[in-house]
Amino acid sequence: MSETAGLQRIRVEDLLQRDSWDVDPRPHIRLNAEKCAGCPTKPCTRMCPAGCYVEAGGSIVFSYEGCLECGTCRVVCPMEAIEWDYPVSGRGIQYRTA
Amino acid sequence: MHMRFDVVVVGAGPAGAAAAYAAASGGLKVLLVERGRGAGSKQVYGGKVYSHYLEEALGDLKGAPIERWVGKERLSIVDDAGRTATLEYEGGSTRAFTAHLTKLAAWLVDRAASAGAVFVDEVRVDSLRRDPSGRFSGVEAGGELVEADVIIDAEGVNRLLLERAGLVERASTRDLALGVKEVVRIGEKEVEERFGLDKGEGLSWILVGGVTGGLPGGAFVYTNKDTVSLGLVLYVDAAARAIEEPVHSMIEKLRTHPALHRYWADGDVVEYAAKLTPESGYRYMPRRLVADGLMVAGDAAGMLLNLGYTFRGVDYAVYSGYMAGRAAIAARDRGGPTEENLRELYEEPLRRSRPFRDLWRLRGVERAMEGGDRYFRRYPALMGAALRSMFELGESTPSIYEALRGAAEESGISIIGALVDALMMARSI
Repeated sequence: MSETAGLQRIRVEDLLQRDSWDVDPRPHIRLNAEKCAGCPTKPCTRMCPAGCYVEAGGSIVFSYEGCLECGTCRVVCPMEAIEWDYPVSGRGIQYRTA
Repeated sequence: MHMRFDVVVVGAGPAGAAAAYAAASGGLKVLLVERGRGAGSKQVYGGKVYSHYLEEALGDLKGAPIERWVGKERLSIVDDAGRTATLEYEGGSTRAFTAHLTKLAAWLVDRAASAGAVFVDEVRVDSLRRDPSGRFSGVEAGGELVEADVIIDAEGVNRLLLERAGLVERASTRDLALGVKEVVRIGEKEVEERFGLDKGEGLSWILVGGVTGGLPGGAFVYTNKDTVSLGLVLYVDAAARAIEEPVHSMIEKLRTHPALHRYWADGDVVEYAAKLTPESGYRYMPRRLVADGLMVAGDAAGMLLNLGYTFRGVDYAVYSGYMAGRAAIAARDRGGPTEENLRELYEEPLRRSRPFRDLWRLRGVERAMEGGDRYFRRYPALMGAALRSMFELGESTPSIYEALRGAAEESGISIIGALVDALMMARSI
């Protein structure tokens, strides 16, 4: 019986563990902290399906490692503070059954 | 290193692979470039493919990694309290199958390679190159240039290359939807028992209303051989403004939904995936689908139809990719892939095609669905309250009209307004 049984919700960190990864040590996302700081709504914190953007003490702490490569952050960022590209060399998420 | 091809196809998804297959089948020297490791590793979609245009393009589906042929369709409206009304259709003949796009794309790439296309993976194209005359003449990746007579851009919904080339604007949140999905393994027997399916039969199930917390969009459930794909689609603009909890906790709410979790109880979540998709393909379409030496296909071209109760993305992508590949062949025999030739050989035939005309004809549905709150929260609430009065009988027995009127009062909706909406929706269809 796995921990997914019953009504226990899985935290995003654990959901991402179900995927296969080859994370590039070079980030494929860059955040302009100055532009980001001026953002009143920070939709990235709710819209990123991987929870890559977390608000801490009024500013965004971000990690590219769990990126599912959907591109949502790039389009929802009202400050255009996110410089986003796909990882190179086949790195990043490795989907198997999607 | 200097390389030259007749055609370079960017992106080995359904559109790119079909384009490479078509062009290589006509004897062109084709390079199919993919950023992922191996074919299919970056592919995400909901879970169902209509077979018609695949069969038309490929001739047959021999060896295709089909999970199940869809024999049962369900459409459910769920209110915030979890009350659910479901329409189920079965007993017809099957036109669609479920598949993992990771595997289907790999199969399409194999077909392209068998036809003679050269497939390279782990190469992220950085830009589309133009020659001094402004003609698209190749692609650049990691500082290396590959030259081509014609480029087929099948880069997907994130049009980084087309944006950099100045051919499209940065996408608006109003034109996009976000899909997230989980694949849960429950076993082959369980898939059939729990969903009431015959051996090998598949289910396609769309749910709207409370499953998205009333946000515009919906939920889907598709059965595979021994797994279930379940997910959410949210219109990005509305969600970015109104979403109260993170998307990843919304999909977990769906998986643990009291009315749904029994279908995949005790299952193992084996994958979690996300993808942006055109919300309205017609609106997402670039103003022009061709330029001198360039054609655009698939998601990048807005070739996706969203009707709320069903979606056509993969088959339309294959169709447009196939047409682009065929156009590359015809252009060679007609003096080359000039803008004028490509417009006549690709863009205009595509605009006259059934898929394109349907995208145009049905665009009103997409606009109507942006009416948002009414369709995704208030009408589900009206439905829930009306059905409760009809079916949860105690002392008194209301007529259907009384049940509706009571529900309308309770949910604050005018029945006349609802009828007008229904008429408008019917007219836009």
